[in-house]
Amino acid sequence: MLYAICDCDNCFVSCERVFNPSLEGKPVVVLSNNDGCVIARSREAKALGVKMGMPYYQMQRMFNDQIVSLSSNYELYADMTARVMSLIRKAAPAFFRYSIDEAFCLLPDITSTETKIWGEHLTQWILQATGMPLSIGIASNKTVAKIATSFAKNYPGYHHCCVIDSDEKRIKALSLTDISDVWGIGRKLSSSLSKSGIHTAFDFASKPVEWVKNKHNIITQRTWRELNGDDCIPDEETASQKSITISRSFAKMTGDFDELRAHVSNFASRCAEKLRKQHAVASTIGVYIVTNRFRTDMPQYGNSFDFPLSTPTDSTITIVNVACDALRRIYREGYQYKKAGVVLMGVSSNQGLQHDLFEFTPEKVEKLKNLDNVIDSINHHQGKHTLTICSQQYSNAGTADEAKSFADIIRHDHRSPCPTTRWSDLIKLR
Amino acid sequence: MHYHITINISAMEYIKILDSEFDKKRDLPFASAIKAGFPSVAEGYSNDSIDFNRDFIRHPEATFYGRVYGDSMIEAGICDGDIAVIDRAASPADGDIIVAFINNEFTIKYLDLSHKNNGYIELHPANKTFPSIRINPDDDFKIWGVVMWTIKRWKK
Repeated sequence: MLYAICDCDNCFVSCERVFNPSLEGKPVVVLSNNDGCVIARSREAKALGVKMGMPYYQMQRMFNDQIVSLSSNYELYADMTARVMSLIRKAAPAFFRYSIDEAFCLLPDITSTETKIWGEHLTQWILQATGMPLSIGIASNKTVAKIATSFAKNYPGYHHCCVIDSDEKRIKALSLTDISDVWGIGRKLSSSLSKSGIHTAFDFASKPVEWVKNKHNIITQRTWRELNGDDCIPDEETASQKSITISRSFAKMTGDFDELRAHVSNFASRCAEKLRKQHAVASTIGVYIVTNRFRTDMPQYGNSFDFPLSTPTDSTITIVNVACDALRRIYREGYQYKKAGVVLMGVSSNQGLQHDLFEFTPEKVEKLKNLDNVIDSINHHQGKHTLTICSQQYSNAGTADEAKSFADIIRHDHRSPCPTTRWSDLIKLR
Repeated sequence: MHYHITINISAMEYIKILDSEFDKKRDLPFASAIKAGFPSVAEGYSNDSIDFNRDFIRHPEATFYGRVYGDSMIEAGICDGDIAVIDRAASPADGDIIVAFINNEFTIKYLDLSHKNNGYIELHPANKTFPSIRINPDDDFKIWGVVMWTIKRWKK
């Protein structure tokens, strides 16, 4: 079995460039909600030395007007990435999306040339169809596939697809990879490793197994094993920081829709809680279900479905409803499911005060739902934030007293239009 | 050379009629075969309702919409305010109406590939008062997508 990790290149900047091709070749950054700091950079911006997370004002001071800065437009990114993911899903036998711009596929162990051609064709097809540049890394486990992805991204010679399918290639790739760039090796760990002379992924992988077992926790041991060629990280642990995942293997397999729905609702509501705790909103909600891969005597099925939202949300009601809808799309009778999960993607800060959403009676929920619908439809037709609820009054971290209305305080001075989701924003043809 | 005209990788994409999974807003009525009971006599002849999304949009993920401004294509029946349905995955052919990005704006024009062997291509307006645009090999020119349909509102 081979894993193909598909990762959009500079996803948010690439979305912007599709509808504004004049940004092609220029240094471009996308800013967080409120235009606070840099959350996405084009290759050119990276080359100039713009750092991820750099505050906007600091970047302005350092680079003046060399860089095009755009406010984040999650509505656009959610729609564009949904298109990309749909194309990947159609091309792959098994598919898991684990963040707004990343997914992995399971591929049968066909020949290396065929795999390479599959990957190259898929990236070309997606680039033509959507304008999104994509890189694919293929290997026998996810940690090495992730390394392959970065080779595919950084070296044009790979034509956006790098396959690591032999020990020779793996060892070469490992020795060219900085230990801090290995998936699962945090900043703290990589700096302590480099103090003890471990600089590359290869240095780390060549350490004896006893050393790893004595000095490191189970997670790091797993990374070590994967670098050495084993496949041991479970599919659902692939989530990135930009996403929130709640998933579980069931004690007893189930084929019952209502039981699955109960699990999924639960996961969704816990995701929503987590989201609010981080003062964040999500722009895409995904659900997946799988049968037990090891029970080869039983019919196998696995699928996932993601809903992009027109308005990012942190509402339990919305998230649970959407998750159940997604489950309905992928549920098939006649299978025994082992595991289900809910993944919130496109997670970004909302910088708002949270109000207790749980003191609700059923009538209240119903009313609120109706209200939600009305607000959503008005906002959908008239533009986002035409209507906001009083409870959405916001206060900045520094100026807690000055609660202002959401619309006033959330800055998006440089926001692009939403040409794929609003009739009013279609591209102009002359 | 900066022509990016056909990169269609798979002829298969053309015989694939539809994959409805992408379209989140449409619910297709399913055949009653999965229901219990005696099938209707009309079963074998029944069809899903005509559906514009399904029948007019060959590549849903690659389909985008644009609004026409001005009269440069008026003699082709494309007027100010019309909506163009653009497929980025379709292969542009000589004589197609295409969308390209030129001089910092999107333009909708006829594609003329008849001079390709002489080293250039042309974009023609459908309006005698507008000039044709000549694209030379050194120009950074990309066809953004192919116009499959235009939609015009008639009801006042």
